[in-house]
Amino acid sequence: MTRWMKTGGILVVLAMLAACAAPTPPAPTATPAGPAQPAAQPSPTPAASPTPAVKKIVLGFTASQTGKLTKESKEQVQGLQLWLEDLQRAGGIRLPDGTVLQVELKFYDDESTKERVQQLYVKLINEDKADFLISPYSSGLADAAAVIAEQYGKIMITTGAASDSTYEKGYQHIFQIYTPASRYLTGAIDFLKKMDPNARRIAIVYENEKFSTDVVNAAKPYAESQGFEVVLFEGYETGTTDFGPFINKIMAARPDAIIGGGHFQDGSTLAKQLFEKKVPVKMIALLVAPAVPEFAQLGDAAVGVIGPSQWEPGARYSPDSAKAAGLPWYGPTVDQFVSAYKAKYGYEPGYHAAGGYAAGLVLQKAIEEAGSVETEKVKAALEKMDLMTFYGRIRFDTGKAHGKQIGHEMVYLQWRKDASGNLIRPIIWPEAAQAAKPIYPLSR
Amino acid sequence: MWRSISWWFTFLVLLGAGLWPIASGSATGREDMFLILMLVTLASSLNILLGYTGYVNFGHIVFFGLGGYVGFYLMHRHGWSLGPAMIAGGLATAALALILGTIILRLRGAYFALATIGIHEAVRAFVANFEPFGGATGMSLNFAVYQAYGGAAQALWIAYGVLLVVTLLTVGISFAVKHSKFGLGLMAIREDEDAALVLGVRGPWAKTMAYALSALFPGMVGVLFFFKNGNIEPGDAFRLHLSIETLVMVMLGGQGTVWGPILGAALYERLRGYLLTSPLFKSLHLAFAGMLLLLIILFVPAGVIGWLRARFPATRRVIA
Repeated sequence: MTRWMKTGGILVVLAMLAACAAPTPPAPTATPAGPAQPAAQPSPTPAASPTPAVKKIVLGFTASQTGKLTKESKEQVQGLQLWLEDLQRAGGIRLPDGTVLQVELKFYDDESTKERVQQLYVKLINEDKADFLISPYSSGLADAAAVIAEQYGKIMITTGAASDSTYEKGYQHIFQIYTPASRYLTGAIDFLKKMDPNARRIAIVYENEKFSTDVVNAAKPYAESQGFEVVLFEGYETGTTDFGPFINKIMAARPDAIIGGGHFQDGSTLAKQLFEKKVPVKMIALLVAPAVPEFAQLGDAAVGVIGPSQWEPGARYSPDSAKAAGLPWYGPTVDQFVSAYKAKYGYEPGYHAAGGYAAGLVLQKAIEEAGSVETEKVKAALEKMDLMTFYGRIRFDTGKAHGKQIGHEMVYLQWRKDASGNLIRPIIWPEAAQAAKPIYPLSR
Repeated sequence: MWRSISWWFTFLVLLGAGLWPIASGSATGREDMFLILMLVTLASSLNILLGYTGYVNFGHIVFFGLGGYVGFYLMHRHGWSLGPAMIAGGLATAALALILGTIILRLRGAYFALATIGIHEAVRAFVANFEPFGGATGMSLNFAVYQAYGGAAQALWIAYGVLLVVTLLTVGISFAVKHSKFGLGLMAIREDEDAALVLGVRGPWAKTMAYALSALFPGMVGVLFFFKNGNIEPGDAFRLHLSIETLVMVMLGGQGTVWGPILGAALYERLRGYLLTSPLFKSLHLAFAGMLLLLIILFVPAGVIGWLRARFPATRRVIA
């Protein structure tokens, strides 16, 4: 009896361990790109060979479906999915040799944590055989994914990841869609200087984490070089919900303008509490939060708040502006993108969604240019790329900060009420793209 | 210990599982096992304090983060190689625990548990504002650093191999403690601290040593983890959430046993990993995992190993 028990016990434990060590069963998590899609659409172009060879390529990424980054990540994935739909409708990516590439998206939930990101990107590369990668949302997660992508020599287009530091580590296969963090708030400072030559005092209040710190560390010297005095430079903890102590400090410093913020949750809370406490400043410019459509839920507290944005539905990039700049145009127009997104998801896209779409679009263009899916050829095409899309100009640094975005520019939006009392967010800066007269100073 | 069947059984099973990705050369297997071994080390080291001594530590992860920071700092700013940096990281956290332990281990029960949360928050806030450690932005290794280890791919395998050694060491120490006079002292403290003191157990000394020992290994693992990651930030280094997950792993497997934390960590991680990538559960995995854990804690409070040992006494010879 005891002998049996003992053997049984050992067997149970061994079985458990074997189960633990066994690789997870392959779990295909493909989105729309199912088998139902028209494999080889008869192409009307006479140039195409009569029976184009169809090849499948896998685009892998992780999405933060749980954890603190779900909101922004969801928008980004929706943008990417819309790109895929448009691509499928167009019949896939056509290469010069007549091959048609059908793209399949594969993604997993990274729980907004780095451990998962690295584990899942290794899985995407090795098990799902991803040909190309898209980054997760946020600089921190993208940075963790970049290490893996570079190790395996896979091209990764990063979107939703603005920190400059990722591109200063010597990576050769990572390409950034977003304008880097160091240029996020500099435009708000230019705006202030233009609007009010008498404004002198700026308070910088920011979330004490990587991205926001990168932004304000670049904004502070810039403000000082423009003749402003930074009267308060203070970080708050991620997850702060009560800004009372900070608001007291801001009041005491008597600034003309407040810039800073962090991500959606803390940024919208800060804006709300600044409004409730009636902090008398002339300008408020916050990171990320004002650019997310849900910011409208703040109601009156949102009015007048300025946010830097990678892109806005009111952006004025067009084939004409491309021609004027001497650049080729690629992809849908701003209106086409906005209306397609609205039709699919029921609301206007923010820049996270546009970034997701643009990531797919840039990769698509690079593959077309390269005429191949070989990593080195696509990489060369990306390095050479300099074009205009609905999202703006795309050009990558090929020098020391390889892959860093150097073509794309930020726009600045400001929340206001339209004639019927609905909250809207027209672009107010740069002047060339201004869609409405800015509210300045804030009336509080 | 060297003549104990259960030690050799534990050692060989762990070694076998750890060598499996190396033998098969599977990078995905390596990533999966890296997380499991890391959690086994964290859970086993926590068990020394939680299981043997009966002191609940909610801030165990502080040693993982701080050790990671110390090692990363040495590699990043002073060009140390991985091995010495790892040992320095571990020693730094053990030293911190030694100092803290002499103060806070005078507290008992809930008061000690609260103090550990306080330590966690204090260290995190300190690191987030400490400029040599990069403040809120943290530090990152240049990709070229991995060249010294024969390229990035090679560096990951090296980190994995070193982790395997650290894990075996942790479990070995855990086993040795449990079967030593020192360990008996700890368990006496767990059962009744006052009685233990009366019987001649050097309470404060034993508790502090247990605390320092449980802090040594997370510090080393932290260095390995962040070396592999390529960057370190306060938010990732000090995740209280992970502390609590580690507690759950120990409870799930069975606290106070050598095998409990190993099995708990492996089961918990595989479960989460499976749910995360399964098409059926991937949107519901947190709810599912939470419910399962609730059921286990309600109906098998002694954990898997505790239940096994109680139900089948014969297993006690092989499963420590």
